[in-house]
Amino acid sequence: MKALAITWVNVKRLVRDPSTIFFVFIFPMLLILVLGASFGGGFQPQVAVLDEGGGPFAQELVDEMAGSEDFDTISYDDRGALLEDVERGVANMGVVVPADYDERLQSGAVAQVEFVGRLDQSVVQYRATIEAIVADQSAVFRAARLVEAQGLAGFDDAVASAQLATTSTARTVVVRESTGESVFGEDLGQFDLGAPANLILFVFLTSLAGSAALINTRRLGVSRRMVSTPTSIGQILLGETGGRFSIAMIQGLFIMVGAAVAFQVRWGNLAASSVLLILLALVGAGAGMLMGAIFDNDEQAGSMGVFIGLGLAALGGCMVPLEIFPDTMVKIAHITPHAWALDGFAELIRRGGTIGDILVEIVVLAAFGVALLTLGTWRLRAKLTH
Amino acid sequence: MNVLECEGLVKAFDDLVAVDDVGFHIAAGETYGLLGPNGAGKTTSISMIAGILESDSGSVTVGGTEITTRTTEGKRQIGYVPQDIAIYPDLSARENLRFFGKLYGIPKARLDERIDEVLAVIGLTDRGDDRTEEYSGGMRRRLNIGIGLLHEPMLLILDEPTVGVDPQSRNSILEGVEELGRTGTAVLYTTHYMEEAERLCDRVAIIDGGKIRAEGTRRELVELVGQLDTINLGVVGSARRLAEALASVTELESVIATEGSVEILVEGASGLLPRVLEIAQQSDVGVSGVEVIEPNLESVFLHLTGKALRD
Repeated sequence: MKALAITWVNVKRLVRDPSTIFFVFIFPMLLILVLGASFGGGFQPQVAVLDEGGGPFAQELVDEMAGSEDFDTISYDDRGALLEDVERGVANMGVVVPADYDERLQSGAVAQVEFVGRLDQSVVQYRATIEAIVADQSAVFRAARLVEAQGLAGFDDAVASAQLATTSTARTVVVRESTGESVFGEDLGQFDLGAPANLILFVFLTSLAGSAALINTRRLGVSRRMVSTPTSIGQILLGETGGRFSIAMIQGLFIMVGAAVAFQVRWGNLAASSVLLILLALVGAGAGMLMGAIFDNDEQAGSMGVFIGLGLAALGGCMVPLEIFPDTMVKIAHITPHAWALDGFAELIRRGGTIGDILVEIVVLAAFGVALLTLGTWRLRAKLTH
Repeated sequence: MNVLECEGLVKAFDDLVAVDDVGFHIAAGETYGLLGPNGAGKTTSISMIAGILESDSGSVTVGGTEITTRTTEGKRQIGYVPQDIAIYPDLSARENLRFFGKLYGIPKARLDERIDEVLAVIGLTDRGDDRTEEYSGGMRRRLNIGIGLLHEPMLLILDEPTVGVDPQSRNSILEGVEELGRTGTAVLYTTHYMEEAERLCDRVAIIDGGKIRAEGTRRELVELVGQLDTINLGVVGSARRLAEALASVTELESVIATEGSVEILVEGASGLLPRVLEIAQQSDVGVSGVEVIEPNLESVFLHLTGKALRD
């Protein structure tokens, strides 16, 4: 079939372009990795801990921090290394227990624990957790000091009794309780939020930027030469559409499978997510055809494609989650196909939805696809023969 | 039988009538030239003939089959070589040929053979697997023509195929076109180079302002505008005596003697030249040189349109 030959030549030209390979396949995966690692769920901060004295009380404090579920600890032997790693972000924050920690506690002097962190809001919540651990230990010592002051026992015995009391007697604890539905779901994987957003962003972006290839084919005169062969205009348009659709599908499949394998992204119901991808690729192909027919300059189309692609992605919720958009902006976002596709993937990934649950999204995306393809092929047909 | 017949072709772009009532025919083995300056309507005319541009009116048939942008059957008989080098730069010559071979519907087994044959004809066998972006301009131009020949068309349309080509490649292209004529392929050749039209074309149409101003063989066109050949004889001896002797030849329009030479105006110089030389011998006047200047298409074009071909 001649349309297939045109489709195939489009795919072949894409695969041969090293820069396209980077932007179509490698860059999206890198972005998913970076965004997931930085902002995704499942993030466990690293606390660098330096025990300068190594006394039993200091060790007890370090053990308490190591037992926290809120962060992981890394032991350091050198203060300079700790500061450098916090500065570089290897560790999110650091705690230095001074050499005289035990001595000062035993003498009744004020003992200071040093907290090292960057000027970052996310550090504040973990600082509170560390302060709570220090306060717990401090409470034991204050109780022991009171017992010692009243002459009821020596300091060491009093400390042992107080420590025993903290584990054997009732204490006040804060119980956390959540109401309502979590915006992103408790079991959302680290990359589950970023992967669909990047899938949509890049499939659309590549389709729009790929319109430059269509314009290039026209400018070279190859399109008109195709018309001079015994190939109907319909087959030429079908082939060109197929080229753009295939490229979008190849990229989309690569991102979906790659993200599932490399980052354990769960795309939900396979049939439903496949339908969403196919419709997304159709919308992208239609938009690419329309841009390829409207513009006459491939460089202009390439840069406009990136501009429009990023703009629509930002508006459609691919850069900042729709869930934190104000209501009005959510409504505006839904003038883009991105928002509808994101809604569909959110239903599948976060709520375990099936095709039946995303029927509205399917219909809207299909309408976008049909409208853009109709406009694009109509414009291109006119360009080819007039 | 005529391979191409077109008549009454009209195409306007908004208020500009680019082609106005163009019509002609080409027989098998005939090379037909459309000679005119840039913007004369040559490319627009052949775009309609190749079925890539919708005409406002008129008709085109190739091998008896109607050609429009919507028809496909008759296009099997047309090889179209556009003025632009319409190939994919990031594909090799072989891949470009395979792609267009599929669009021409050449069966796979035959296509492999034809690709090798065409690569040999255009002299790219050794570079067939290299990407065409690595080719010289002449090599790309040859491939551009090769694609048009791939499916062995009945009619080959060449739109200014030598523009921007080095002299060696240009000569190679012209020889190729001459060879095509000998093998029975009808060729429609557009050019604004008078020498190419004179060398290649059996018949020429002078086109300007979207209209065909005149059509015929070179000789017919020259006769049409009443231009005469000029014979310049360099003489040793009395030029005046020779001029007086030649005055008795009634076919000569005029004979002018100057010092050391005689200028003769005549219709059909080549036919009368032996007789002129014979008279010179009889008059005992030596001939040191002979120059025959035939009126060319440039002068025909100038006469018909009032402007030079390259204006």
